[in-house]
Amino acid sequence: MNVHELPLVAFTILAQMSVGSFVILGLVQLSLVRKHGQEAVDKLSGPALYAIGPAIVLGLIASMFHLGNPMNALNAINHLGSSWLSREIFFGSAFAGLGAVFAVVEWRRWLTPLLRQVLAGVTALVGLALVLSMSMVYMLPSVPAWNHWATPVTFFTTTFLLGALAIGAAFVVVYTVRKRKHADVDEATGALLRTSLRRIAASAIVLLGIEFVVLPTYALDLATGDVHAQASAATLMTAGGAVLLTRLALVFLGAGLLGFFLYRFAFRGKERHLVYLATSAFVLVLASETIGRMLFYSSFDRIGI
Amino acid sequence: MAKQLGFYFDQTLCTGCKACQVACKDKNDLPVGVTWRRVAEYSGGTWRQDGDTFTPNVFTYYTSISCNHCDDPQCVKVCPTTAMHKDEHGIVTIDDGKCVGCRYCEWACPYGAPQYDKDAGVMTKCDLCIDRVNAGEQPACVAACPSRALEFGEIDELRAKYGDTAAIEPLPDPAMTRPNLVITPHRDAQPTGHGTGAIGNPEEI
Repeated sequence: MNVHELPLVAFTILAQMSVGSFVILGLVQLSLVRKHGQEAVDKLSGPALYAIGPAIVLGLIASMFHLGNPMNALNAINHLGSSWLSREIFFGSAFAGLGAVFAVVEWRRWLTPLLRQVLAGVTALVGLALVLSMSMVYMLPSVPAWNHWATPVTFFTTTFLLGALAIGAAFVVVYTVRKRKHADVDEATGALLRTSLRRIAASAIVLLGIEFVVLPTYALDLATGDVHAQASAATLMTAGGAVLLTRLALVFLGAGLLGFFLYRFAFRGKERHLVYLATSAFVLVLASETIGRMLFYSSFDRIGI
Repeated sequence: MAKQLGFYFDQTLCTGCKACQVACKDKNDLPVGVTWRRVAEYSGGTWRQDGDTFTPNVFTYYTSISCNHCDDPQCVKVCPTTAMHKDEHGIVTIDDGKCVGCRYCEWACPYGAPQYDKDAGVMTKCDLCIDRVNAGEQPACVAACPSRALEFGEIDELRAKYGDTAAIEPLPDPAMTRPNLVITPHRDAQPTGHGTGAIGNPEEI
């Protein structure tokens, strides 16, 4: 396992989870306000929105530990015209900045609702540009294991999978806290929670399906590629593939099995059970995606000498 | 802009003594773990069947390699800070006052030219001994080679003299970076992408 790149593992996972959460919150706003009312949506999504801030900032701080000379960090956006790494840092900072502005504006109810929505839309697009830049950073002709369509597809899958399940976990936690401490949740909030969880569970199962189609295709591509691709395939199978199997088992349990139960019982299950289901699904998938990202960095094998 | 400079390497003459590597290390005072010029030993072999007898048919050849000051340098392309740049002599140089030490160029370069100095926290690389070249001398590696296997000069002249081959294992396909490097291949040299051997001294390069 590659421990040298832990700062990058933390940065990519946290940043992707932040972008995914932001986009999923936007989808909740767009699709569920009409049916369940603005008040219910704001009750659940407010705290979730504010939690994204620390996550992306923590990610950006983690990325600084990757630098040998952080004093020069401001130079890192000098080469936007040619370097995807510059673009990644630019969009990462822009997403964090716009997200912070949006959170403040939303909290203070500044501007009109329409302008706030436009700001949220721009922030989401910048976030998606961040995930795209992040994956392009690894599309190096010198590293066959990374220079593969699976890199962007996997990065976006991770983004939405972690984003959806993080929002699911955030919603059940916010709902429980509000119910116990403030007793200000009504039927509309409960109904919104159940609808969101059901849709999140359905998305998680679809995204799991994508991961399970991409991975074998990618692995076979590596195994039949040049010597460097084959060396990467061998790394993925380190310790008889025990690490890879652990990752796959965890994501299957979290997104597949718990996702299935969450989908099945979203409408008629006890609230307490939904809390357990949504939080454990998130924890299992977060662990799986983190191990998967560590394997991604371990699979590095460069052409040449 | 001055004419593009480059290296010529004659695989048929190299004995793998690594005098070039040591001269480079000495001249540039490189720390442990940083070796701008390295000598890769590429070995392989097959069995030849002769009636009921199998005899080994093996080969080894050396490739001395540093930075090739490429026409399409991946390190320059991917560097987020523009610290890595091609100067007026076509020499790929690092400005350590700009470098953040992200080591992205190290991933991108298929020749292992940009190397990380962990004490300074920045990347370092071959500058073609520009101080010696300006003083009318040869780069340290070229001057040190006892077999006269290394030469440097204007790449157009080197190509006119020695041809234009650089696609030799274990080196990458020159289409990737367009290196300013010319090689006279060893008799057992294997073309890039069709290698049957492996690098025998991976810990040294």
